[in-house]
Amino acid sequence: MSTVAQYIFSGLAIGGIYALVALGFHIMWSAARAVNFAHGDTLMIGGLLAAYLVGAGWPLALACGLAVLVGGAFGFVIERLAVRPFAGQANSIGWMLTTIAIGIMVESVATIETQGYALPLPSPGVAGSVQVLGAGLYPQELAIPVIALVAMAGLRLLQRRTLIGRAMQAVAHNRNAAALMGIDVNLVIAFSFALASLTGAAAGVLIAPVVQASATMGVLPGLKGFAVAIMGGITSAPGVVLTGLAYGVIEKFVEGYVSTAAREIVGFSLMIVVLLVFPQGLFGKREVAKV
Amino acid sequence: MTRLHTLGFLALATLLLAVPLTSGNEYELRLFMLFLIYAIIAVGLNVLVGLAGLVSLGQAGLFALGSYTGAIVATRLGFDMIGSALVAAVVAGLFGVLLAYPTVRVRGVYLAVVTIAFGLIVENVAIEWQSLTGGTTGLTSIPAPNVFGAVLSGYAYYGVLAASLFLLVLAAHNLKFSRYGRAMLAIAQSETAARALGLNPTAMRTLAFVVAAVTSGIAGTYYAFLNAYISPDIFTFTDSVRFLLMVILGGAASTFGPVIGAYILTYLPEYLQEFAVWQKFAYGALLLAVMFVLPRGIMGSLGALAARLRPAAKAATPTAGLPAEITLAPDERRPHAELVARALTVRFGGLTALAEASLRVKPGEIHALIGPNGAGKSTFVNTISGFYRPTSGAFELDGVQLTGLSSHEIARAGLARTFQNTELFGEMTVLENVMVGYQQRLAYGLAAALLHTPAMRREENRCRETAAGLLAFVGLADYRHEQARFLPFGLQRRLEIARALAAGPRLLLLDEPAAGLTTQEIDELEAMIRRIAGLGISVLLIEHHVELIMAVADTVTVLDYGQVIASDTPAVVQADPRVVEAYFGSSASHANLAEASA
Amino acid sequence: MSSKGLMRGQLLAATVAFGLAGSMAHAQQQPCIGNSAAVTGPAAFSGQAIKMGAQIAIDEINEAGGVLGQKLRLVQYDDAGAPPRGVDNTRRIALADKCIAVLGGFHSTVAVAQVEPVNEIGIPYIGVWAANTKAIENGRDPNFMFRVSAKDKWVARFLVDEALKVSKDGKIAFFYENTGWGNGALPDIKAAMAARGKELVAAETFNWNDQDMSPQVIRARDAGAEVVMVWSLDREGNQILRAMDKIGYKPAVIGAWGISGNLGELAGPLANGVRVMQTYSFLTPQGETGKKVLAALAAKYGLNDPSAIKAASGIADAYDAVYILADAIRIAGAFDWAKVQKALYEVNRDGLVAPYKPAFDKADPERNDALLPEHYLLAVWHDGKLIPFKGSPYDK
Repeated sequence: MSTVAQYIFSGLAIGGIYALVALGFHIMWSAARAVNFAHGDTLMIGGLLAAYLVGAGWPLALACGLAVLVGGAFGFVIERLAVRPFAGQANSIGWMLTTIAIGIMVESVATIETQGYALPLPSPGVAGSVQVLGAGLYPQELAIPVIALVAMAGLRLLQRRTLIGRAMQAVAHNRNAAALMGIDVNLVIAFSFALASLTGAAAGVLIAPVVQASATMGVLPGLKGFAVAIMGGITSAPGVVLTGLAYGVIEKFVEGYVSTAAREIVGFSLMIVVLLVFPQGLFGKREVAKV
Repeated sequence: MTRLHTLGFLALATLLLAVPLTSGNEYELRLFMLFLIYAIIAVGLNVLVGLAGLVSLGQAGLFALGSYTGAIVATRLGFDMIGSALVAAVVAGLFGVLLAYPTVRVRGVYLAVVTIAFGLIVENVAIEWQSLTGGTTGLTSIPAPNVFGAVLSGYAYYGVLAASLFLLVLAAHNLKFSRYGRAMLAIAQSETAARALGLNPTAMRTLAFVVAAVTSGIAGTYYAFLNAYISPDIFTFTDSVRFLLMVILGGAASTFGPVIGAYILTYLPEYLQEFAVWQKFAYGALLLAVMFVLPRGIMGSLGALAARLRPAAKAATPTAGLPAEITLAPDERRPHAELVARALTVRFGGLTALAEASLRVKPGEIHALIGPNGAGKSTFVNTISGFYRPTSGAFELDGVQLTGLSSHEIARAGLARTFQNTELFGEMTVLENVMVGYQQRLAYGLAAALLHTPAMRREENRCRETAAGLLAFVGLADYRHEQARFLPFGLQRRLEIARALAAGPRLLLLDEPAAGLTTQEIDELEAMIRRIAGLGISVLLIEHHVELIMAVADTVTVLDYGQVIASDTPAVVQADPRVVEAYFGSSASHANLAEASA
Repeated sequence: MSSKGLMRGQLLAATVAFGLAGSMAHAQQQPCIGNSAAVTGPAAFSGQAIKMGAQIAIDEINEAGGVLGQKLRLVQYDDAGAPPRGVDNTRRIALADKCIAVLGGFHSTVAVAQVEPVNEIGIPYIGVWAANTKAIENGRDPNFMFRVSAKDKWVARFLVDEALKVSKDGKIAFFYENTGWGNGALPDIKAAMAARGKELVAAETFNWNDQDMSPQVIRARDAGAEVVMVWSLDREGNQILRAMDKIGYKPAVIGAWGISGNLGELAGPLANGVRVMQTYSFLTPQGETGKKVLAALAAKYGLNDPSAIKAASGIADAYDAVYILADAIRIAGAFDWAKVQKALYEVNRDGLVAPYKPAFDKADPERNDALLPEHYLLAVWHDGKLIPFKGSPYDK
């Protein structure tokens, strides 16, 4: 029983990271029908920068805050530099490759800086473990899925209550109509990328105390976050968040009852099967093509 | 083959012969052999990316499949290199079919993710299936390259690789300039139009995937024999990106681009070593630069440059066109086509777009379908051309049931159409657009296409001449080498008609052909419709333009709120009070419709 | 030589014959020592460490007049941990640069892949890091693969002995990374256990960058393991310790040298008492050579604090390997690959890491390894620092 609880809670923690990353992909996709393939590196920037600043003697909160802001700025710059020039091309090769290229560059700089070593990010959330239903966890890990749900609710609030949020929804619904209504579409897209990157960098700051910050910490969460977004239906914020949490839990159970080694194989096969049955993802909206 | 292409193949052959003679040492030759293997992958991938327009970020997975399959049958079962390569090609090809299946439902970025996932699954299976693949340590002791028991010398193995690449480039070139290549390009640019012309997108995408998979599989076996050692780290996501980049950098869809891209990206790491810890950064920066400076690749940019410098080159020797009256001559054995739709109902959710609409296009007539906006005309057209499935009801062409068939099957039954919003293959030339329309009348198969057999060339010439004749028929003879997207709007409409006629239809469905045309263009259109009908082709015309309808239609059917409210000769329909009401509301008078038509 | 080897020989001969003749003749330029290592990627530190150790030795040798009157130079190529690039680099070093020898790198998969080209070409290779047993014990004769570093087979015995000292009833679990290094060590560990009449109660694997190890740790705990042996790098080692901490499982932890980098920094107090096998530490009282190397590290690379040196073993092994190679060249009296390979068996030297008397032994296939189990060092993490186990608070 405690083992099952352990898998569920551990899975929710890592799933929360997938959910936050996937939420970022959702925000970007809604605005631009394009995403930043270096989004995993946004997460890395957040985590690594926070660890660096703390190592340099900054107070934890300040270091984390700045790291998240820099992550957001990174997303803003990527959209401007690498995505916008290629938006609207028939196939998506342009922005896929440019953002991958920037990811390679960022990761290279981070590797040179750290020489490949991981850096610790001390946080009160991992000072001691707590027991929940027989499962041992750091409070930080308990907080992550909760924060993912809060972020999802926050996004909805933003879209309902603020001008920019409503503009985001309008752009997501129909970009041309939004432009005709006087919405600055480019501004909304840039804002969306920045917002997505804020959540990505925040995910990095949240996970770094648990997994340590390193140059490659964003690779797998980035890839799986995107897989989760596609699987959950990239047009639906609750869809990607719930799928992310579920994916984390499934991974843990595969690790626990099949083998650690089978995790990636089972996970990605599951994704392909889901896409075959639900081409728009589990919770995605169908886009009817008009002839 | 154009003179430039011939020169290119000569240059490639010279290079392949010269390199072993000038290599300074074994290392240089080996590196060059590595390039040959990568080039094989890139040329195959180009069919998928360049022609079929599908992005694969999992090519390393297929490369790995080929590599492992080849290595395993060679070490375990003692197959020679040819046997191993064949088994690897078959296994990789089967996985290519498997990978193509999702394209039925997902496209674009979704497909990219499926391919990424595929690559990761293969990599992880290679790691986990230790008894078969040796796990992370990989497979060692792969025998030296051998054929029928005889060990190949280094030179002979080089010869095998060089010949493979040369033949593959030639075959890929031939494929591109055949009905298969045209079909792939067409489907990538407008799937809708391609389906309406009878092309089967799933079959073509599967073919493209299989080509890319088989070449990667063979390259994988070659690689295993060259390296004598394989392990999962050879086949990572980074490698998939590199393979894709080879195609993009060299120039997607070009004949020699992938080879050039593979050459650069094989040798680049050697030079990047200078940057020591910064080499990955330099690689990323270069990748970025390529996307900005050469978005269409080296060959694409060179081509654009050449076109700008020598615009005259476009006006190549005109092909003598076969007159449309000959190529579209009605078949004596088959009467004029009759289309019958019975009680068609189409519902979208709670909305009934078409309610029990029945219609009969009599053999050889020009039948107009009119109705106010939202009356269900587009739904009707899209239903009988197979893009929508009717909720109930049926329709048939000359007694052949078409209900439930997919659009390309309906097209093959003899129904061709144009589109309200023109759906041209924008990046193909005007002539090529029409040649795609002729696609279903070509009989040669894949082998003939790859070999460019004399019979295939005869058929192609016939196709080109027919297309040229149809362009003359619609008055576009002078534009044949223009890219379709650069045509003025009015001419684009005519091109769509020529393209639809090329399919040799017995019923032509024109979806608002007069929309956006000038008065003079409408007059020309009217004459053209008469000439088409004169060739014995039944015409179903969907139109708003009352004057045109009254002038050309033999029968007019009026739709309103999804129901047929009238169907008769133009004069009778014009006088029908229900029609007047549908158009102008209850207070409108008969005179108004007459005015509107004036 | 096996028949396969003969085939390869023919292949090479043929390749050489068709216009590549001369590749065996050594260029008249400055003789070089080549190195294929990870300069980029997650193990970038290893390439840097090898470069430091080898360069310091080469500089010293050159200052003393070089070898056979010629100065040496180091050529380093990046393989990023990828075997095919390691193989290409090996060929480049041997055939294009015509270096005297190849120094190995960090990754075991690369070292295993290098066996083939190294023996096919016949260029001496000296491993300075990767510990995979089969990379060096590859069954070839003559064998051009040598090593001045730990060997997993012996490390396994060394650590199993330590583990059994700690354990009351011999219940030992083994955690290994899912790489060529980790998977290669599994049979070595099983053999070492079997030699002591024991069996592992659990063998758990994980990937690089895995973020949570609780399933593996739970299984080890449920199997009743009192000692956990770890074949991992620092980051994953830290994950293992944290997962243990979370479920309140407190076995003794003994690791191979992958966790000798910055585990103390990552895991904080959780790392206290974790034992690690090393080949060298700059934190023990240093001899003459050690002081000289430390001074050079400070002067050339600004590493002023010995405890800030994270890859001591790699630096020291590379340093010794260069000296052993220089000795072999002197004994051979030539820069010829085959002669140097034979001469390597005749080197006797008092090195930084150990006394090599002799460095390698032609009569014993296990002895293409210069470092013997008795040279291994047991260290322990204590308050963020890796200190020699002997005399530490944990040495009872």
